[in-house]
Amino acid sequence: MLTLRRDAAWRHPFSSWVLILPTLIFFVGWQLYPIVRVLGLSFTDFRYLTDRPLHFVGLRNYFEALGDPVLRTGLLRAAVFTAIFLPGVIFLPMLAAVLVDRVRNGPVAAAYRLILLIPAVIPGPLVFLLFKWLYDSHIGPIDYLLVQKLHVFTVFNEPQWLGDPRLTLPSLVLMEWWWGLGYHTMFFLAGLASIPKDLYEAARVDGAGEWRMFWNVTFPRLRPILLILVVLRFGTAMAVIQEFLIFGGFNRSLPTYTWTVYMWDTAFQLGDWSQGYAAAIGWIGTACMLVVVLLLFWFFRSRD
Amino acid sequence: MLAGHDRLEAMLAARVDRRAVLRGGAALGLGLPGLVAVLEACQGSGGGGSGRPLTPTFYQWIVDEHPAVQQVNKTFGGQHSLQAKIAPVSGFGIQRFVAEAKDKNSTWDIYVGMTPFVEMGQLVDAGVIEPWDNYIPRSVLDDLIPSIRDESTFKGKVYDWPFLLDITLLAWNAEIVQKAGLDTETAPKTWDDLVANARKVQQSGAAPFGVTFDAHGWRSLCPITYSISTDVYDDQGLFNFTSDAAVEALQIMRRLKEVGNPDVLNPGTADGGVNGTPDEGAFTARQVAYYVKYENAPIRMAAKWPDPTRLRMGALPSVPGGAGATVFWDTGAAVFTYGKNKSTVADYMKALTYDVGVWQQSIGAGTDQVGQLPPYQSLWNQWRANPPGWLPRWAFFVYDQLKVSKAIRPGKWGLQQFVIGQPYWQTYLTGEVSDPKKAMQDAMSAVQAEVKKG
Repeated sequence: MLTLRRDAAWRHPFSSWVLILPTLIFFVGWQLYPIVRVLGLSFTDFRYLTDRPLHFVGLRNYFEALGDPVLRTGLLRAAVFTAIFLPGVIFLPMLAAVLVDRVRNGPVAAAYRLILLIPAVIPGPLVFLLFKWLYDSHIGPIDYLLVQKLHVFTVFNEPQWLGDPRLTLPSLVLMEWWWGLGYHTMFFLAGLASIPKDLYEAARVDGAGEWRMFWNVTFPRLRPILLILVVLRFGTAMAVIQEFLIFGGFNRSLPTYTWTVYMWDTAFQLGDWSQGYAAAIGWIGTACMLVVVLLLFWFFRSRD
Repeated sequence: MLAGHDRLEAMLAARVDRRAVLRGGAALGLGLPGLVAVLEACQGSGGGGSGRPLTPTFYQWIVDEHPAVQQVNKTFGGQHSLQAKIAPVSGFGIQRFVAEAKDKNSTWDIYVGMTPFVEMGQLVDAGVIEPWDNYIPRSVLDDLIPSIRDESTFKGKVYDWPFLLDITLLAWNAEIVQKAGLDTETAPKTWDDLVANARKVQQSGAAPFGVTFDAHGWRSLCPITYSISTDVYDDQGLFNFTSDAAVEALQIMRRLKEVGNPDVLNPGTADGGVNGTPDEGAFTARQVAYYVKYENAPIRMAAKWPDPTRLRMGALPSVPGGAGATVFWDTGAAVFTYGKNKSTVADYMKALTYDVGVWQQSIGAGTDQVGQLPPYQSLWNQWRANPPGWLPRWAFFVYDQLKVSKAIRPGKWGLQQFVIGQPYWQTYLTGEVSDPKKAMQDAMSAVQAEVKKG
């Protein structure tokens, strides 16, 4: 009787709003408001450092940004980074997960998982410092090995991992793969654990080999994980800024000067801080990403 | 500081404006930071004011590299109410100061850390800082080295109280230079001499590289240009990349690069690529003999050598008939428009900048020197007449070059013009473009395109 009464009280429409309020405040204040505010700003000539009144300029910022070569180059650079980054960040962890999943010895399997996870728990700045050192041509161990020990290069032509525009993005991608390997492997391990083992047994009975089982049993069952990881990592790769700022700074000749760095530069460094224009840059980048995300959803749609 | 209970009372008593309540209230949804915002607002608009101690804010590096500043603060704090803080900025970020000024408020009274060509124009135009003219004593103004006083003046008013002076010069590793059979005590007079010496260093095997420099325009292109001519600004006050002097400077840089470390154009490891540059690594690792940069860098790098006394420094080379100038900048102080305690700001700055202990620690031989120099003629005149034992020889070489040198013209694009132009003039250094004039024209066009955007 008491339970019924309590249930009835909680079913009151007002009480559900009370429960949802903290999330709602968080969502509106933390997610929705900044999005709407930036959208609004993108239609204005707002410049942070001036006291000039703000004017509505319609789509002018968008038209100017679309014709801006720095933005176009920046988007292309981000796309190139993403194209190099995405396959490795998906398939290397998948491979690692499949291999680790086959280890039957409990303690050994746990040790593998732990080792894989170590990079994921290292804070970003430490990882960046570590790789700055690794890639340094004067004190870094990679060039030291190549020049002093293996004599593959000399000090005059040793690889400039971060300074040579041809090597910068691959060098950063390598760092990102290493950093994310364990974290992404856990996703796939969770996916593998959810595949019924009798599917493999049935496939074996039907004479399927390991490779066939992977493609016909494992891979299709990992499709939801793939979708999540591809979409998440696509978004983060296209919108990378921290790594680019730390490794490339504001040097526009380097491939690390992407649309995100340009947006930040425009909003907080250049001239009067043209934040209306920077907001338009942000929305153009976001729109490009949303189109690709929609295509990804379509590509990974359920075919069951 | 108000206690939490008092803060709450102040808020209930409406000693906080509507904007602060709305902003803080919205932020409350975000948890503790929101609460802090409201409480800070209560304190700022209601509880603050003349009761607050004089509150200067310093860059962390200033306090770290000039420990004597703490002593000045202690002494001044013994006579006045003082609360020195560390600036909530990293690199060249001024966002927090601007945000506060927009609310007609300032947590601090003085910003010790302003570099005129980097941020003064933006801070003035945004109304964050006000001129010193009403506070700085005439005697101090007259005591400033004229070129530094010029640097501190923007739109006819003095916005910067100069403090720590950096100057681009030539440093070298006497050990390497000696191994190459070159004069260890005299700086090459011309860029041709420097390139010849650098080549000899390489050919003799004394070091793999002859010379290095910091590729950022304000640390290399501009100083080398000034060594030829300082008349290199257009009507808008922008650096004229296409001037004859600038084009010649770019050609000199290419010759330096040919005898330099191959990674010289790479970005740095800190502060958005601005600091921790490859030249520092090469000079520290004793892979290069000569070094073009402001004095603080070679001093810091040489401190890691087995024998730091082998560092030598001298004036920047020039070209025959050239201006013989270089670039300097000071890290000075600005007075916040909405700060408090205006009656004591000048007394504090005077105590800080004339303190001989600060300068002895900064440039004194045998100390953990950083090499930053004082901006006052009276101090230099005293030292010239009666040189203190701790004053290194290079100090006067550098001081003498100050007379003809200039700062980079302050303005909203003072620093950024070199950042924007670099990828274009760099194409000549990498060999992608064979005509230096074209590379410089491209740089100029890129800067003007950004200026047009605003």
